[in-house]
Amino acid sequence: MKRFFTLYKIEQKLFFRSPDVFVFNLCMPVAVLLLIGFIAGDKTAGGSDITYIQSAFASLTAVGICCSAFMSIPIVMVDYRDKKILKHLYCSPASPARILAADTLCSGVMSAISAVLVAASAVIVFGYRMEGNPAIFIGAWLITLVSMFSIGLLTAALCRTTKSLNIATTILYFPMLFLSGATIPYELFPKGLQIVADVMPLGIGIDLMKAASMGQDMNGSLVNVFILAVIAVICSTIAVKTFRWE
Amino acid sequence: MSESIISVRNISKSFGGRKVVDGLSLSVAQGEVFGLLGHNGAGKSTTIEMILGIKKPDSGEAHILGKDAASARKEIFEKVGVQLQSSAYQAAIKVGEICEEFASLYKDPADYRNLLEQFGLLPLIKSPAMKLSGGERQKLSVVLALIGNPEIVFLDELTTGLDVAARREVWKTLKELKSKGMTVFLTTHYMEEAENLCDRVCLIKRGRKVTEGTVSEVVAASPYDNLEDAYLWYMGEEVM
Repeated sequence: MKRFFTLYKIEQKLFFRSPDVFVFNLCMPVAVLLLIGFIAGDKTAGGSDITYIQSAFASLTAVGICCSAFMSIPIVMVDYRDKKILKHLYCSPASPARILAADTLCSGVMSAISAVLVAASAVIVFGYRMEGNPAIFIGAWLITLVSMFSIGLLTAALCRTTKSLNIATTILYFPMLFLSGATIPYELFPKGLQIVADVMPLGIGIDLMKAASMGQDMNGSLVNVFILAVIAVICSTIAVKTFRWE
Repeated sequence: MSESIISVRNISKSFGGRKVVDGLSLSVAQGEVFGLLGHNGAGKSTTIEMILGIKKPDSGEAHILGKDAASARKEIFEKVGVQLQSSAYQAAIKVGEICEEFASLYKDPADYRNLLEQFGLLPLIKSPAMKLSGGERQKLSVVLALIGNPEIVFLDELTTGLDVAARREVWKTLKELKSKGMTVFLTTHYMEEAENLCDRVCLIKRGRKVTEGTVSEVVAASPYDNLEDAYLWYMGEEVM
């Protein structure tokens, strides 16, 4: 365990040195929150009964998950495979799984830091208070994280080359970021785009997190939990079965 | 000859119908520096990868310390250090950090500071690994191969792409290993390197063994008086 933590600690340092992670995972969600908050924080969003800052809180705490799942996880894994780092770990008493586990943990920690920064900004700058139970919200955030990470792991497993990975992350990351309601408020979408967001895995997670943050009856969101769980089980099973460290 | 600690019996491997290694057998004794020589694409790396259990031979078997590396991985790799051809490091990782990571993989690792000092890399401990010169980087890969206190090290084209001075410096470090009784399995296509370092060499061509023996035996069995000309003769190329 101590040896795993040593590896994790160093990989985590590398995450903080990565300018991409810093900009997209940590700065961008806070910047979007500040923009939305200053422009329209107290107004109700679209035709809904929640304010822009309430909407932005739930969706922007998911942006870190989106960056980690669809950029960090697949990019790091394919990069380490290309650089033969995974092969080198195979030629040691440890296994490539150890560094993959350490890096997945790093991605989870970055997502959490990103969410904490968004939450702190919302509370301190805009006086945000959650109507729902924070513990239920954290639960919704965690199941969204696990489900999205499983999609990221599957992407890493299926992409054999950096080129195919770049295409896959572009197809996954940008639509999820902009069309799932993560950055652009869902309530502003026309009906057609709302349906697109409703079927996107990240959109399903954000819908669940929004319901939890607004203190809505969670029975209505059980279908979201079910879909996210099914995604997690299917994607991680296929990822484990198809992953090649070489 | 003392007991062999690497033994390869009749291994073959094909990729897409092309035979890359074809019925190759060899054995390496304890404390020996063994060189596997051949052109690019002769099957050197594939042979190493089969010995290490990274690739499974289509037929035949390879053992290190009497065991199959693929099935006794944990045990074997506590005693075997590896440098892989054209491997790289994580972006932005520092020399000391990569050493710490590798040390964390082993039960009883060597003190990597001592190793870095021994290889003249200690002043670079805080430098990013990707900023090292070619020679420094290859020396670092030897340090990493030695971190687990191995009995055997595999070095795959360690000096390819290095300038003459850097290559000589890497040789010096390998000679030190040799003097400490380390068993070394290396591949190279520099004959001068094989002459300088290897106790025994095996020449392969298109995955088949052409000849094997000490450098002087291999040279003596050819019409030439140095390994480079002898090598070309064995490979069926014209000697100028």
